[in-house]
Amino acid sequence: MNARRWGGSNVVTQTLAQIGACGLFLLTLLAAVPRSFQYFRETSRQLWFVGAMSLTIIMVCGLFVGMVLMLQLYHVLSIFGGTSASGMVVALSVYRELGPVVTALLFAGRAGTAITAEIGLMRATDQIAAMEMMAVDPIAYVATPRFLAGVAAMPLLCCVFCAMAVFGGHLVGVTWLGIDNGTFWSNMTAQVDLRTDIINGVLLKSLAFGAVVTLIAVYQGFATAATSEGVAHATTRTVVASSIAILALDFVLTAFLM
Amino acid sequence: MSQPRSSYAIGTGLFIVLGFAALAYLATQTTSVANVHQGASYTLDARFANIGQLKERAPVKIAGVRIGQVQSITLLPGQEVADVTLSIDQRYNKIPQDSIATIFTSGLLGDQYIGIQYGTAKQLVAPGGTLVFTKPAQQLEEMLGKFFGAGGIADNLGGTYTVTARFTNVGTLAAGAPVKMAGVPIGSVQSVHADPLKLDADVTLAIDKRYNQIPDDSAAAVFTSGLIGTQYVAIQPGGSPDALKQGDEMILTQSAMQLEDLIGKFLVNGSPADKQAAGSVPASSSTARKH
Repeated sequence: MNARRWGGSNVVTQTLAQIGACGLFLLTLLAAVPRSFQYFRETSRQLWFVGAMSLTIIMVCGLFVGMVLMLQLYHVLSIFGGTSASGMVVALSVYRELGPVVTALLFAGRAGTAITAEIGLMRATDQIAAMEMMAVDPIAYVATPRFLAGVAAMPLLCCVFCAMAVFGGHLVGVTWLGIDNGTFWSNMTAQVDLRTDIINGVLLKSLAFGAVVTLIAVYQGFATAATSEGVAHATTRTVVASSIAILALDFVLTAFLM
Repeated sequence: MSQPRSSYAIGTGLFIVLGFAALAYLATQTTSVANVHQGASYTLDARFANIGQLKERAPVKIAGVRIGQVQSITLLPGQEVADVTLSIDQRYNKIPQDSIATIFTSGLLGDQYIGIQYGTAKQLVAPGGTLVFTKPAQQLEEMLGKFFGAGGIADNLGGTYTVTARFTNVGTLAAGAPVKMAGVPIGSVQSVHADPLKLDADVTLAIDKRYNQIPDDSAAAVFTSGLIGTQYVAIQPGGSPDALKQGDEMILTQSAMQLEDLIGKFLVNGSPADKQAAGSVPASSSTARKH
Protein backbone atom coordinates (compact mmCIF):
# COMPACT_ATOMS: atom_id res chain seq x y z
CA MET A 1 0.00 0.00 0.00
CA ASN A 2 2.92 2.35 0.51
CA ALA A 3 3.88 3.57 -2.93
CA ARG A 4 6.88 5.55 -1.73
CA ARG A 5 8.48 2.36 -0.52
CA TRP A 6 8.25 0.80 -4.02
CA GLY A 7 8.98 3.90 -6.04
CA GLY A 8 12.37 4.88 -4.61
CA SER A 9 13.37 8.53 -4.70
CA ASN A 10 12.86 9.23 -8.43
CA VAL A 11 9.80 11.46 -9.06
CA VAL A 12 8.75 9.63 -12.23
CA THR A 13 8.94 6.13 -10.76
CA GLN A 14 7.23 7.40 -7.62
CA THR A 15 4.33 8.80 -9.64
CA LEU A 16 4.08 5.57 -11.63
CA ALA A 17 4.12 3.57 -8.41
CA GLN A 18 1.32 5.79 -7.03
CA ILE A 19 -0.82 5.22 -10.13
CA GLY A 20 -0.13 1.48 -10.06
CA ALA A 21 -0.89 1.19 -6.35
CA CYS A 22 -4.09 3.18 -6.89
CA GLY A 23 -5.14 0.79 -9.68
CA LEU A 24 -4.43 -2.26 -7.52
CA PHE A 25 -6.38 -0.62 -4.71
CA LEU A 26 -9.38 -0.26 -7.05
CA LEU A 27 -9.32 -4.03 -7.59
CA THR A 28 -9.28 -4.74 -3.82
CA LEU A 29 -12.10 -2.22 -3.45
CA LEU A 30 -14.24 -3.88 -6.12
CA ALA A 31 -13.50 -7.36 -4.75
CA ALA A 32 -14.82 -6.17 -1.38
CA VAL A 33 -18.16 -4.93 -2.84
CA PRO A 34 -20.10 -8.20 -2.09
CA ARG A 35 -18.72 -8.28 1.47
CA SER A 36 -19.64 -4.63 2.06
CA PHE A 37 -23.35 -5.31 1.50
CA GLN A 38 -23.59 -6.42 5.14
CA TYR A 39 -22.58 -2.86 6.06
CA PHE A 40 -25.41 -1.30 4.08
CA ARG A 41 -26.23 1.14 6.84
CA GLU A 42 -22.66 2.48 6.68
CA THR A 43 -23.04 3.01 2.90
CA SER A 44 -26.26 4.98 3.31
CA ARG A 45 -24.66 7.05 6.09
CA GLN A 46 -21.80 7.88 3.71
CA LEU A 47 -24.32 8.77 1.00
CA TRP A 48 -25.84 11.23 3.42
CA PHE A 49 -22.41 12.65 4.25
CA VAL A 50 -20.90 12.99 0.73
CA GLY A 51 -24.21 13.59 -1.07
CA ALA A 52 -26.80 15.34 1.01
CA MET A 53 -24.26 17.42 2.91
CA SER A 54 -22.71 18.64 -0.39
CA LEU A 55 -26.05 19.93 -1.71
CA THR A 56 -25.68 23.46 -0.37
CA ILE A 57 -22.31 24.18 -1.99
CA ILE A 58 -23.37 22.47 -5.25
CA MET A 59 -26.64 24.41 -5.50
CA VAL A 60 -25.12 27.79 -4.71
CA CYS A 61 -22.18 27.27 -7.09
CA GLY A 62 -24.48 25.99 -9.85
CA LEU A 63 -26.67 29.04 -9.53
CA PHE A 64 -23.73 31.43 -9.81
CA VAL A 65 -22.09 29.54 -12.68
CA GLY A 66 -25.33 29.77 -14.67
CA MET A 67 -25.76 33.45 -13.83
CA VAL A 68 -22.22 34.52 -14.77
CA LEU A 69 -22.26 32.41 -17.93
CA MET A 70 -25.46 34.08 -19.07
CA LEU A 71 -24.08 37.53 -18.28
CA GLN A 72 -20.92 36.89 -20.33
CA LEU A 73 -22.73 35.26 -23.25
CA TYR A 74 -25.33 37.99 -23.40
CA HIS A 75 -22.69 40.66 -23.92
CA VAL A 76 -20.75 38.64 -26.51
CA LEU A 77 -23.84 37.50 -28.42
CA SER A 78 -25.39 40.97 -28.44
CA ILE A 79 -22.54 41.99 -30.80
CA PHE A 80 -24.00 39.60 -33.39
CA GLY A 81 -27.62 40.17 -32.42
CA GLY A 82 -27.88 36.58 -31.27
CA THR A 83 -28.88 37.04 -27.64
CA SER A 84 -31.85 34.72 -28.07
CA ALA A 85 -29.40 31.82 -28.42
CA SER A 86 -27.72 32.52 -25.08
CA GLY A 87 -30.03 30.24 -23.07
CA MET A 88 -29.23 27.39 -25.41
CA VAL A 89 -25.49 28.04 -25.15
CA VAL A 90 -25.68 28.17 -21.34
CA ALA A 91 -27.52 24.83 -21.27
CA LEU A 92 -25.16 23.13 -23.73
CA SER A 93 -21.94 24.32 -22.11
CA VAL A 94 -23.19 23.42 -18.63
CA TYR A 95 -24.46 19.97 -19.62
CA ARG A 96 -21.46 18.99 -21.69
CA GLU A 97 -18.54 20.45 -19.77
CA LEU A 98 -19.00 22.83 -16.87
CA GLY A 99 -21.60 20.83 -14.94
CA PRO A 100 -19.70 17.55 -14.56
CA VAL A 101 -16.26 19.20 -14.22
CA VAL A 102 -17.13 21.92 -11.70
CA THR A 103 -19.29 19.53 -9.68
CA ALA A 104 -16.41 17.03 -9.58
CA LEU A 105 -13.89 19.71 -8.52
CA LEU A 106 -16.21 20.92 -5.76
CA PHE A 107 -16.91 17.33 -4.78
CA ALA A 108 -13.16 16.64 -4.49
CA GLY A 109 -12.75 19.68 -2.26
CA ARG A 110 -15.87 19.11 -0.16
CA ALA A 111 -16.14 15.31 0.15
CA GLY A 112 -12.81 13.92 -1.12
CA THR A 113 -10.69 15.76 1.45
CA ALA A 114 -13.05 14.78 4.27
CA ILE A 115 -12.81 11.10 3.28
CA THR A 116 -9.00 11.22 3.12
CA ALA A 117 -8.67 13.04 6.44
CA GLU A 118 -11.13 10.74 8.17
CA ILE A 119 -9.46 7.52 6.98
CA GLY A 120 -5.98 8.98 7.58
CA LEU A 121 -6.89 9.83 11.17
CA MET A 122 -8.38 6.36 11.60
CA ARG A 123 -4.99 5.00 10.61
CA ALA A 124 -3.07 7.49 12.75
CA THR A 125 -5.12 6.54 15.81
CA ASP A 126 -4.82 2.79 15.03
CA GLN A 127 -8.58 2.35 14.48
CA ILE A 128 -7.92 0.44 11.25
CA ALA A 129 -5.56 -1.94 13.08
CA ALA A 130 -8.20 -2.39 15.80
CA MET A 131 -10.80 -3.36 13.17
CA GLU A 132 -8.45 -6.00 11.79
CA MET A 133 -7.99 -7.32 15.33
CA MET A 134 -11.78 -7.66 15.64
CA ALA A 135 -11.89 -9.53 12.31
CA VAL A 136 -13.74 -6.61 10.62
CA ASP A 137 -12.39 -6.12 7.09
CA PRO A 138 -11.45 -2.39 6.93
CA ILE A 139 -11.70 -2.39 3.12
CA ALA A 140 -15.27 -3.73 3.21
CA TYR A 141 -16.32 -1.59 6.19
CA VAL A 142 -14.46 1.71 5.60
CA ALA A 143 -13.30 1.94 1.97
CA THR A 144 -16.00 0.34 -0.18
CA PRO A 145 -19.05 2.08 1.40
CA ARG A 146 -17.39 5.47 0.82
CA PHE A 147 -16.48 4.55 -2.74
CA LEU A 148 -20.00 3.32 -3.58
CA ALA A 149 -21.58 6.36 -1.95
CA GLY A 150 -19.34 8.71 -3.95
CA VAL A 151 -20.10 6.96 -7.25
CA ALA A 152 -23.84 7.12 -6.54
CA ALA A 153 -23.85 10.71 -5.28
CA MET A 154 -21.91 12.42 -8.11
CA PRO A 155 -24.49 12.01 -10.94
CA LEU A 156 -27.27 13.21 -8.65
CA LEU A 157 -25.21 16.21 -7.50
CA CYS A 158 -24.34 17.00 -11.12
CA CYS A 159 -28.04 16.96 -12.12
CA VAL A 160 -28.81 19.37 -9.28
CA PHE A 161 -25.88 21.58 -10.36
CA CYS A 162 -27.09 21.69 -13.99
CA ALA A 163 -30.69 22.41 -13.01
CA MET A 164 -29.52 25.27 -10.78
CA ALA A 165 -27.28 26.62 -13.57
CA VAL A 166 -30.20 26.69 -16.01
CA PHE A 167 -32.30 28.38 -13.33
CA GLY A 168 -29.51 30.93 -12.77
CA GLY A 169 -29.23 31.56 -16.51
CA HIS A 170 -33.00 32.06 -16.67
CA LEU A 171 -32.86 34.42 -13.71
CA VAL A 172 -30.23 36.68 -15.29
CA GLY A 173 -31.27 36.29 -18.92
CA VAL A 174 -35.04 36.54 -18.68
CA THR A 175 -35.79 38.51 -15.54
CA TRP A 176 -32.80 40.86 -15.61
CA LEU A 177 -31.54 41.25 -19.19
CA GLY A 178 -34.94 40.86 -20.79
CA ILE A 179 -34.56 37.91 -23.15
CA ASP A 180 -37.99 36.62 -24.13
CA ASN A 181 -39.07 33.73 -21.91
CA GLY A 182 -40.51 31.67 -24.77
CA THR A 183 -37.43 32.15 -26.97
CA PHE A 184 -35.18 31.17 -24.07
CA TRP A 185 -36.89 27.79 -23.61
CA SER A 186 -37.68 26.99 -27.24
CA ASN A 187 -34.11 27.60 -28.38
CA MET A 188 -32.89 25.41 -25.55
CA THR A 189 -35.27 22.54 -26.16
CA ALA A 190 -34.59 22.67 -29.90
CA GLN A 191 -30.85 22.12 -29.50
CA VAL A 192 -30.35 20.03 -26.34
CA ASP A 193 -30.44 16.32 -27.11
CA LEU A 194 -31.34 13.76 -24.45
CA ARG A 195 -28.76 11.15 -25.48
CA THR A 196 -25.69 13.20 -26.38
CA ASP A 197 -26.11 15.97 -23.82
CA ILE A 198 -27.93 14.60 -20.78
CA ILE A 199 -26.93 10.92 -20.79
CA ASN A 200 -23.44 11.17 -22.34
CA GLY A 201 -22.65 14.58 -20.92
CA VAL A 202 -24.21 14.91 -17.50
CA LEU A 203 -24.68 11.32 -16.32
CA LEU A 204 -21.79 9.36 -17.85
CA LYS A 205 -19.14 11.98 -17.17
CA SER A 206 -20.20 12.61 -13.59
CA LEU A 207 -20.33 8.85 -12.92
CA ALA A 208 -16.72 8.51 -14.13
CA PHE A 209 -15.60 11.59 -12.18
CA GLY A 210 -17.32 10.34 -9.02
CA ALA A 211 -15.50 7.01 -9.28
CA VAL A 212 -12.12 8.68 -9.87
CA VAL A 213 -12.44 11.29 -7.11
CA THR A 214 -13.61 8.86 -4.41
CA LEU A 215 -11.04 6.24 -5.47
CA ILE A 216 -8.22 8.79 -5.09
CA ALA A 217 -9.63 10.07 -1.77
CA VAL A 218 -10.02 6.61 -0.23
CA TYR A 219 -6.64 5.44 -1.57
CA GLN A 220 -4.82 8.50 -0.20
CA GLY A 221 -6.47 7.91 3.18
CA PHE A 222 -5.20 4.35 3.32
CA ALA A 223 -1.76 5.15 1.87
CA THR A 224 -0.98 8.04 4.21
CA ALA A 225 1.80 7.94 6.72
CA ALA A 226 0.11 7.41 10.10
CA THR A 227 1.09 10.82 11.52
CA SER A 228 -0.69 14.19 11.67
CA GLU A 229 1.77 15.53 9.09
CA GLY A 230 1.08 12.53 6.85
CA VAL A 231 -2.69 13.21 7.00
CA ALA A 232 -2.11 16.83 5.99
CA HIS A 233 -0.01 15.77 2.99
CA ALA A 234 -2.50 13.09 1.97
CA THR A 235 -5.37 15.61 2.00
CA THR A 236 -3.39 17.98 -0.23
CA ARG A 237 -2.49 15.15 -2.59
CA THR A 238 -6.18 14.17 -2.85
CA VAL A 239 -7.15 17.61 -4.14
CA VAL A 240 -4.18 17.89 -6.53
CA ALA A 241 -4.47 14.38 -7.94
CA SER A 242 -8.28 14.58 -8.23
CA SER A 243 -8.19 17.90 -10.07
CA ILE A 244 -5.61 16.65 -12.58
CA ALA A 245 -7.45 13.35 -13.04
CA ILE A 246 -10.83 15.10 -13.55
CA LEU A 247 -9.55 17.51 -16.20
CA ALA A 248 -7.49 14.87 -18.04
CA LEU A 249 -10.34 12.36 -17.97
CA ASP A 250 -12.73 15.08 -19.13
CA PHE A 251 -10.67 15.58 -22.27
CA VAL A 252 -10.52 11.84 -22.97
CA LEU A 253 -14.26 11.37 -22.38
CA THR A 254 -15.18 14.36 -24.54
CA ALA A 255 -12.97 13.07 -27.35
CA PHE A 256 -14.65 9.66 -27.22
CA LEU A 257 -18.24 10.69 -26.55
CA MET A 258 -18.64 13.58 -28.97
CA MET B 1 -20.16 11.07 12.45
CA SER B 2 -22.54 10.36 15.29
CA GLN B 3 -25.74 11.80 13.82
CA PRO B 4 -28.94 10.12 14.97
CA ARG B 5 -30.04 7.63 12.32
CA SER B 6 -33.38 9.18 11.40
CA SER B 7 -31.84 12.57 10.59
CA TYR B 8 -29.39 11.22 8.02
CA ALA B 9 -32.01 8.84 6.64
CA ILE B 10 -34.31 11.79 5.92
CA GLY B 11 -31.42 13.87 4.58
CA THR B 12 -30.28 11.08 2.28
CA GLY B 13 -33.80 10.42 1.08
CA LEU B 14 -34.29 14.10 0.38
CA PHE B 15 -30.99 14.20 -1.51
CA ILE B 16 -31.89 11.21 -3.71
CA VAL B 17 -35.37 12.58 -4.46
CA LEU B 18 -33.93 16.00 -5.29
CA GLY B 19 -31.24 14.47 -7.53
CA PHE B 20 -33.74 12.44 -9.53
CA ALA B 21 -36.15 15.37 -9.70
CA ALA B 22 -33.33 17.48 -11.18
CA LEU B 23 -32.55 14.73 -13.70
CA ALA B 24 -36.21 14.48 -14.72
CA TYR B 25 -36.36 18.25 -15.06
CA LEU B 26 -33.24 18.37 -17.28
CA ALA B 27 -34.42 15.47 -19.41
CA THR B 28 -37.98 16.64 -20.00
CA GLN B 29 -37.97 20.42 -19.76
CA THR B 30 -34.71 21.41 -21.44
CA THR B 31 -34.23 18.80 -24.18
CA SER B 32 -35.79 18.10 -27.52
CA VAL B 33 -37.76 15.27 -25.91
CA ALA B 34 -40.31 17.94 -25.04
CA ASN B 35 -40.54 18.82 -28.72
CA VAL B 36 -40.79 15.42 -30.29
CA HIS B 37 -44.46 14.69 -30.37
CA GLN B 38 -44.78 10.93 -30.24
CA GLY B 39 -48.44 10.81 -31.29
CA ALA B 40 -49.79 9.22 -34.44
CA SER B 41 -48.26 10.62 -37.58
CA TYR B 42 -48.23 9.98 -41.30
CA THR B 43 -45.57 10.60 -43.93
CA LEU B 44 -45.50 12.72 -47.05
CA ASP B 45 -42.81 12.97 -49.71
CA ALA B 46 -41.54 16.18 -51.21
CA ARG B 47 -38.80 16.53 -53.79
CA PHE B 48 -36.57 19.57 -53.81
CA ALA B 49 -34.00 20.73 -56.34
CA ASN B 50 -31.90 22.02 -53.45
CA ILE B 51 -32.38 21.53 -49.72
CA GLY B 52 -29.68 23.97 -48.58
CA GLN B 53 -28.85 23.34 -44.92
CA LEU B 54 -32.06 21.42 -44.14
CA LYS B 55 -31.40 18.64 -41.62
CA GLU B 56 -33.29 15.60 -40.39
CA ARG B 57 -35.68 16.44 -37.53
CA ALA B 58 -36.03 20.00 -38.83
CA PRO B 59 -39.55 21.30 -38.20
CA VAL B 60 -42.38 21.28 -40.74
CA LYS B 61 -44.68 24.26 -40.28
CA ILE B 62 -47.99 25.56 -41.53
CA ALA B 63 -48.63 29.25 -40.90
CA GLY B 64 -45.56 29.17 -38.66
CA VAL B 65 -47.00 26.45 -36.39
CA ARG B 66 -45.04 23.21 -36.05
CA ILE B 67 -47.03 20.25 -37.40
CA GLY B 68 -44.28 17.65 -37.83
CA GLN B 69 -40.65 17.10 -38.69
CA VAL B 70 -38.34 15.97 -41.47
CA GLN B 71 -37.92 12.21 -41.20
CA SER B 72 -35.25 11.53 -43.83
CA ILE B 73 -33.35 13.21 -46.63
CA THR B 74 -32.01 11.08 -49.46
CA LEU B 75 -30.54 11.80 -52.85
CA LEU B 76 -31.91 9.40 -55.44
CA PRO B 77 -28.90 8.08 -57.40
CA GLY B 78 -28.94 9.31 -60.97
CA GLN B 79 -31.43 12.09 -60.18
CA GLU B 80 -30.61 15.64 -59.29
CA VAL B 81 -33.38 16.01 -56.71
CA ALA B 82 -33.38 15.50 -52.96
CA ASP B 83 -36.19 13.28 -51.70
CA VAL B 84 -37.40 14.59 -48.34
CA THR B 85 -39.79 12.50 -46.23
CA LEU B 86 -41.96 14.52 -43.85
CA SER B 87 -43.51 13.01 -40.74
CA ILE B 88 -46.68 14.97 -40.00
CA ASP B 89 -49.02 14.81 -37.01
CA GLN B 90 -52.19 12.80 -37.73
CA ARG B 91 -54.34 15.73 -36.58
CA TYR B 92 -53.22 17.78 -39.57
CA ASN B 93 -54.31 15.41 -42.34
CA LYS B 94 -56.36 17.82 -44.42
CA ILE B 95 -53.62 19.23 -46.62
CA PRO B 96 -54.86 20.09 -50.14
CA GLN B 97 -53.10 18.29 -52.97
CA ASP B 98 -51.82 21.47 -54.63
CA SER B 99 -50.16 22.80 -51.46
CA ILE B 100 -46.66 24.19 -51.87
CA ALA B 101 -43.73 23.00 -49.73
CA THR B 102 -41.00 25.63 -49.42
CA ILE B 103 -37.67 25.59 -47.57
CA PHE B 104 -37.42 28.69 -45.41
CA THR B 105 -34.71 29.98 -43.10
CA SER B 106 -35.53 31.23 -39.59
CA GLY B 107 -34.03 34.68 -39.69
CA LEU B 108 -30.81 35.45 -41.53
CA LEU B 109 -28.58 32.90 -39.81
CA GLY B 110 -31.12 30.48 -38.36
CA ASP B 111 -31.87 26.84 -39.10
CA GLN B 112 -33.90 25.89 -42.11
CA TYR B 113 -37.40 24.44 -41.97
CA ILE B 114 -40.13 23.39 -44.39
CA GLY B 115 -43.18 25.63 -44.66
CA ILE B 116 -46.35 24.34 -46.30
CA GLN B 117 -48.73 26.81 -47.90
CA TYR B 118 -52.25 25.49 -48.45
CA GLY B 119 -53.51 25.27 -52.01
CA THR B 120 -57.12 25.56 -53.10
CA ALA B 121 -57.78 22.06 -54.49
CA LYS B 122 -60.65 20.05 -52.98
CA GLN B 123 -58.62 16.85 -53.17
CA LEU B 124 -56.45 16.13 -50.16
CA VAL B 125 -52.98 14.64 -50.35
CA ALA B 126 -53.13 11.02 -49.13
CA PRO B 127 -50.82 9.70 -46.38
CA GLY B 128 -47.66 8.44 -48.06
CA GLY B 129 -48.36 10.69 -51.04
CA THR B 130 -46.18 13.34 -52.59
CA LEU B 131 -46.38 17.11 -52.46
CA VAL B 132 -45.85 17.97 -56.11
CA PHE B 133 -45.24 21.69 -55.77
CA THR B 134 -42.00 22.60 -54.00
CA LYS B 135 -39.69 25.58 -53.83
CA PRO B 136 -36.02 24.84 -53.15
CA ALA B 137 -33.82 26.59 -50.60
CA GLN B 138 -32.47 29.92 -51.77
CA GLN B 139 -28.70 30.02 -51.99
CA LEU B 140 -27.33 33.32 -50.80
CA GLU B 141 -24.67 33.19 -53.53
CA GLU B 142 -27.26 32.71 -56.24
CA MET B 143 -29.37 35.56 -54.93
CA LEU B 144 -26.35 37.84 -54.68
CA GLY B 145 -25.19 36.58 -58.06
CA LYS B 146 -28.50 37.42 -59.72
CA PHE B 147 -28.53 40.75 -57.98
CA PHE B 148 -25.11 41.64 -59.31
CA GLY B 149 -25.72 40.07 -62.71
CA ALA B 150 -23.11 37.41 -62.13
CA GLY B 151 -25.26 34.31 -61.95
CA GLY B 152 -23.61 32.53 -64.87
CA ILE B 153 -21.39 29.53 -64.29
CA ALA B 154 -18.06 30.40 -65.78
CA ASP B 155 -14.76 28.62 -65.45
CA ASN B 156 -13.29 25.15 -65.76
CA LEU B 157 -13.27 21.49 -64.65
CA GLY B 158 -13.25 18.19 -62.54
CA GLY B 159 -13.04 14.36 -62.52
CA THR B 160 -14.65 11.26 -60.89
CA TYR B 161 -14.21 9.34 -57.79
CA THR B 162 -11.69 11.38 -57.66
CA VAL B 163 -12.31 14.25 -60.03
CA THR B 164 -10.44 17.53 -60.20
CA ALA B 165 -11.65 21.07 -60.65
CA ARG B 166 -9.80 24.34 -61.16
CA PHE B 167 -10.93 27.53 -59.51
CA THR B 168 -9.50 31.01 -59.89
CA ASN B 169 -10.44 31.57 -56.26
CA VAL B 170 -11.44 28.99 -53.65
CA GLY B 171 -12.02 31.49 -50.85
CA THR B 172 -11.48 29.65 -47.56
CA LEU B 173 -12.24 26.18 -49.01
CA ALA B 174 -10.13 23.56 -47.22
CA ALA B 175 -9.48 19.84 -47.58
CA GLY B 176 -12.33 17.91 -45.94
CA ALA B 177 -15.04 20.39 -46.92
CA PRO B 178 -18.22 18.71 -48.20
CA VAL B 179 -19.12 18.28 -51.87
CA LYS B 180 -22.87 18.65 -52.33
CA MET B 181 -25.37 18.04 -55.07
CA ALA B 182 -28.88 19.48 -54.65
CA GLY B 183 -27.73 20.37 -51.14
CA VAL B 184 -27.04 16.74 -50.11
CA PRO B 185 -23.41 15.80 -49.28
CA ILE B 186 -22.07 13.28 -51.81
CA GLY B 187 -18.33 13.49 -51.12
CA SER B 188 -15.57 15.68 -49.81
CA VAL B 189 -12.69 17.85 -50.93
CA GLN B 190 -9.53 15.73 -50.92
CA SER B 191 -6.92 18.40 -51.52
CA VAL B 192 -6.53 22.04 -52.47
CA HIS B 193 -3.28 23.03 -54.18
CA ALA B 194 -2.12 26.16 -55.92
CA ASP B 195 -0.92 25.41 -59.45
CA PRO B 196 2.52 27.05 -59.85
CA LEU B 197 2.15 27.41 -63.66
CA LYS B 198 -1.50 28.25 -64.25
CA LEU B 199 -1.67 30.30 -61.07
CA ASP B 200 -5.06 28.97 -60.05
CA ALA B 201 -6.30 26.50 -57.42
CA ASP B 202 -6.33 22.79 -58.26
CA VAL B 203 -9.02 21.09 -56.14
CA THR B 204 -9.41 17.31 -55.96
CA LEU B 205 -12.93 16.10 -55.12
CA ALA B 206 -13.60 12.60 -53.79
CA ILE B 207 -17.18 11.64 -54.72
CA ASP B 208 -19.13 8.67 -53.42
CA LYS B 209 -19.22 5.78 -55.94
CA ARG B 210 -23.03 5.59 -55.60
CA TYR B 211 -23.29 8.87 -57.45
CA ASN B 212 -21.64 7.74 -60.66
CA GLN B 213 -24.30 9.14 -62.97
CA ILE B 214 -23.24 12.78 -62.72
CA PRO B 215 -23.17 14.25 -66.25
CA ASP B 216 -19.65 15.16 -67.38
CA ASP B 217 -20.67 18.72 -68.19
CA SER B 218 -21.78 19.38 -64.60
CA ALA B 219 -20.50 22.53 -62.97
CA ALA B 220 -18.65 22.87 -59.66
CA ALA B 221 -19.09 26.00 -57.60
CA VAL B 222 -17.66 27.14 -54.28
CA PHE B 223 -20.57 28.19 -52.05
CA THR B 224 -20.82 29.36 -48.47
CA SER B 225 -23.22 27.82 -45.92
CA GLY B 226 -25.27 30.81 -44.88
CA LEU B 227 -23.79 34.24 -44.43
CA ILE B 228 -20.81 33.38 -42.23
CA GLY B 229 -20.68 29.58 -42.62
CA THR B 230 -17.93 27.34 -43.98
CA GLN B 231 -17.41 26.91 -47.68
CA TYR B 232 -18.27 23.82 -49.71
CA VAL B 233 -18.27 22.69 -53.34
CA ALA B 234 -21.70 22.46 -54.96
CA ILE B 235 -22.13 20.36 -58.09
CA GLN B 236 -24.81 21.55 -60.49
CA PRO B 237 -25.72 18.74 -62.87
CA GLY B 238 -25.43 19.32 -66.61
CA GLY B 239 -27.29 17.64 -69.44
CA SER B 240 -24.63 15.45 -71.06
CA PRO B 241 -25.44 11.74 -71.56
CA ASP B 242 -21.90 10.76 -70.46
CA ALA B 243 -21.10 10.42 -66.75
CA LEU B 244 -18.05 11.72 -64.92
CA LYS B 245 -15.32 9.10 -64.48
CA GLN B 246 -12.30 8.64 -62.20
CA GLY B 247 -9.67 11.26 -62.96
CA ASP B 248 -11.90 13.50 -65.09
CA GLU B 249 -11.65 17.24 -64.79
CA MET B 250 -14.76 19.37 -64.35
CA ILE B 251 -14.56 22.08 -66.98
CA LEU B 252 -17.22 24.39 -65.66
CA THR B 253 -16.42 25.94 -62.30
CA GLN B 254 -17.55 28.97 -60.43
CA SER B 255 -15.13 30.52 -58.00
CA ALA B 256 -15.88 31.61 -54.48
CA MET B 257 -17.54 34.99 -54.35
CA GLN B 258 -15.82 37.47 -52.15
CA LEU B 259 -18.43 39.33 -50.23
CA GLU B 260 -16.00 42.24 -49.99
CA ASP B 261 -15.65 42.35 -53.78
CA LEU B 262 -19.39 42.29 -54.37
CA ILE B 263 -20.17 44.90 -51.79
CA GLY B 264 -17.16 46.93 -52.88
CA LYS B 265 -18.37 46.98 -56.50
CA PHE B 266 -21.85 47.85 -55.41
CA LEU B 267 -20.66 50.72 -53.26
CA VAL B 268 -18.24 52.26 -55.76
CA ASN B 269 -20.45 51.88 -58.83
CA GLY B 270 -21.29 55.58 -58.65
CA SER B 271 -17.74 56.82 -59.20
CA PRO B 272 -16.73 56.97 -62.91
CA ALA B 273 -13.22 55.58 -62.39
CA ASP B 274 -14.50 52.38 -60.88
CA LYS B 275 -17.42 51.96 -63.22
CA GLN B 276 -15.25 50.45 -65.93
CA ALA B 277 -13.68 47.93 -63.57
CA ALA B 278 -17.01 47.04 -62.05
CA GLY B 279 -18.55 46.37 -65.43
CA SER B 280 -15.96 43.73 -66.44
CA VAL B 281 -16.88 40.07 -65.83
CA PRO B 282 -17.82 40.30 -62.16
CA ALA B 283 -18.08 36.50 -61.65
CA SER B 284 -14.50 35.49 -62.27
CA SER B 285 -12.76 38.69 -61.30
CA SER B 286 -10.86 37.99 -58.12
CA THR B 287 -8.85 41.16 -57.98
CA ALA B 288 -9.27 42.20 -54.42
CA ARG B 289 -10.63 45.62 -53.87
CA LYS B 290 -11.10 45.46 -50.16
CA HIS B 291 -12.68 48.22 -48.18
